[in-house]
Amino acid sequence: MDVSQYLEIFLDETKEHLQSLNTQILNLEQEPEDMDTINEIFRAAHSLKGMAGTMGYKRMQALTHEMESAFTEVRSGTLKVKSNLIDVLFQSLDALEEYLENIQKNADEGTNDNEHLVKQLQDILANKPDEAEAPTAGPRAPEPEQEAAPEAEKQEKWMDINLGESESRVLAVAKKQGRNVYGLTVKVQETCLLKAARAFLVFKAVEDLGEIVVSQPPTQDIEDEKFDQTFNLVVISEYPLDKVIAAAENVSEIEQVSGGIMDIDTSVVEDAEEDDMDQQVSETVLALDNSTQKSSQGSSSQNERKSSKPVVNRTVRVDIEKLDVLMNLVSELIIAKNSLVSASSSEETNARNGVNEQIEYLESVTTNLHESVMKVRMVPIESVVNKFPRMIRDLSKKLNKKIELYMSGEETELDRTVVDEIGDPLMHLLRNAADHGLEETADRIRSGKSEIGSIFLDAFQDGNNVVIEVRDDGAGVDAEAVKKRAIERGIITADQGDNMTEKDIIDLLFHAGFSTAAKVSDVSGRGVGLDVVKSKIEALSGEVEVKSRRGEGSTWTIRLPLTLAIIQALMVTVGGEKYAISLGSIQTIEDITPEDIKFVQAKEVINLRGTVIPIIRMSEVLDIESKKAHNEDMVVVIVKKGDKMAGLIVDELMGQQEIVIKSLGKYISKCKFISGATILGDGEVALILDANALI
Amino acid sequence: MEELNLIHETTQFIVIQLGEEQYGVDIKYIDNIVRMQHITRVPKVPEYLKGVINLRGEVIPVMSIRLKMDLPEDEITKDTRIIILKLEVHGMIGIVVDQVKEVVTLQNEQIEKVSYDGKDERINYIVGIGKYDGGLISLLDLNSVIVEREV
Repeated sequence: MDVSQYLEIFLDETKEHLQSLNTQILNLEQEPEDMDTINEIFRAAHSLKGMAGTMGYKRMQALTHEMESAFTEVRSGTLKVKSNLIDVLFQSLDALEEYLENIQKNADEGTNDNEHLVKQLQDILANKPDEAEAPTAGPRAPEPEQEAAPEAEKQEKWMDINLGESESRVLAVAKKQGRNVYGLTVKVQETCLLKAARAFLVFKAVEDLGEIVVSQPPTQDIEDEKFDQTFNLVVISEYPLDKVIAAAENVSEIEQVSGGIMDIDTSVVEDAEEDDMDQQVSETVLALDNSTQKSSQGSSSQNERKSSKPVVNRTVRVDIEKLDVLMNLVSELIIAKNSLVSASSSEETNARNGVNEQIEYLESVTTNLHESVMKVRMVPIESVVNKFPRMIRDLSKKLNKKIELYMSGEETELDRTVVDEIGDPLMHLLRNAADHGLEETADRIRSGKSEIGSIFLDAFQDGNNVVIEVRDDGAGVDAEAVKKRAIERGIITADQGDNMTEKDIIDLLFHAGFSTAAKVSDVSGRGVGLDVVKSKIEALSGEVEVKSRRGEGSTWTIRLPLTLAIIQALMVTVGGEKYAISLGSIQTIEDITPEDIKFVQAKEVINLRGTVIPIIRMSEVLDIESKKAHNEDMVVVIVKKGDKMAGLIVDELMGQQEIVIKSLGKYISKCKFISGATILGDGEVALILDANALI
Repeated sequence: MEELNLIHETTQFIVIQLGEEQYGVDIKYIDNIVRMQHITRVPKVPEYLKGVINLRGEVIPVMSIRLKMDLPEDEITKDTRIIILKLEVHGMIGIVVDQVKEVVTLQNEQIEKVSYDGKDERINYIVGIGKYDGGLISLLDLNSVIVEREV
């Protein structure tokens, strides 16, 4: 079977399942008795096994099979969750991730059998305590290792079928009418890939000869492949048993069908005899319903609670390329709109009103379109941060520190492209916090802190930005140590170091080739990390900042723009050239006179309602002659970056416009304070000033 | 020997005028030829980078070949054109030329390789000399023209 076309879906879903397994097993470690969690894990492991099998990844299937078996035991209460099981499970997840990576790279799972994990899981299963043999209530009590079970036990399976009252009645009526009631146990071959389909064929074959009254597991579960290798049926038929069994066995990939005549107590139907056939049929339906409920209740009493819990939110996967095309279309639409705007303002004729109306319409359309497309591109950062609790757990063991990770705002949404990229930087920051940020446990106790170090990961929206904060309650950054190290490494001179503020020194952490950890561990500390974090975030048009308080901890703040492609911008002119400034970074716009400009430390500043703000003459930065005379009043655009502000002196304001950001291309990427270009209504290109780089 | 293989191989060049000289640009690199239009200046870039233009909604950088080759600044006339090149490494980029004259097809034997001469800066941008009816054309090595000069 050619499955390559499903590979992408397989990868996506497997990732999802692995993620959910990671999260659930973490939960399980906290609450080893929680049936919800156990069921969830079982289900995920089972789906993984099924998918890996379908795709032909035998090693993956084998490993997940063992995990599933373990959880079959856990679910039935015969195996207790212990830390050794959790450890093996986590290792298995890592192994599965490895398979997945291999598959992603070269569509092959690789050759690592991970035998030791399979063996460990089997050992745990084999060593389960004796009381485990005590049968659990409910008809779906899982039989350990069906292949190994003696023949007799297998044959009796259909006899174990528990019949509800109404089912018994239906069967009794049938019996009274002289029809045969058979119990059947169907065993599907282990290698069978599409068990549900085979089961369906069995159902069909049997239904040709009679009526299936009860099936176990319920039909729904069978359709969903929620059965191991066998399922049981109760059939009413006029044909001899042999014929029914033969029909079922005729279906390919069915290993064995066994069956027998069921003993039915006909006394229960004495009073129901008068009921006509219609009634019976409806009762049959009812009975089936009941049996579904019953058996699911029986198999795990938690199933009901389960259903009230929201299923993992259903997502529509959209090809990112299609989205990009859509995005480009919107861009063009906006350009078209802008041309209309400029056409209407250049003509003074009477047709003007009609054009204006059109423009307004076009404007609302494009804005809506933009918003909806943007929303499609937005995904919660959950998918990225979900893997962190597991990572922190492992780090905690590795570093021998007690660490607790608190996360909030996982539902915060960001552009898909940003979410895909933000994982690594965040991981670096978290590792950094765990390794460098948090002190050794002994030191924590000595300084009167709680033994358990806390790391916080908070995400929230702030205006046009999304802020992600990584905070720890560790020792904070030792500015002196940083300074010393920076001088040692020749990043700064000793003189420079003396003149630097503490904040500037801490910012040196982002310098390439820097690491303050006295101990170099494999967790962090090879000096790659923070500079990579910084460049990665800047590549996403974001920024990263660090604040630290000695003894109280550090906060790393990542600020990312909500959208990347289309922004609201203020258009200005400088020396006859047009420039755009993102509205998001603009605080206010002020008119000042030349006398308002004061000098502080040989730098030009203005005093704006009590705040001293440095000013930047854009004409100087942009190497162009300002068209304004020196004694004229000036327009200052106040921009902010975090809590820093600056005033940009421009010649004139042109107004607000929605602009489409275009890259200047690789060839002209040297210009630091130009973040891109946009195309104006008249087809001219205007450059976008990056206020952040100017401050 | 080699000639056997090469005998039927031809390359098409667009002949452009830069000052007094004629240059040839391999047609396979050319995406488009547009009239001179407003070029938006980009600050803080080398002088030969004239800025960016809008080509059907894309922002394309434009450079002056004259300035790159240390020739006098372009004089914009009605014949001035921007040739949009599509290069593998650098993507789309426009070059300003005085005039686009014609397309010529040169057989391989009509092309004479030039030996590398470190002294003359300009010759580094040339891969060969083409001989045809209209005279001689210097065939531009686009990649070295486009690549930024190391300072």
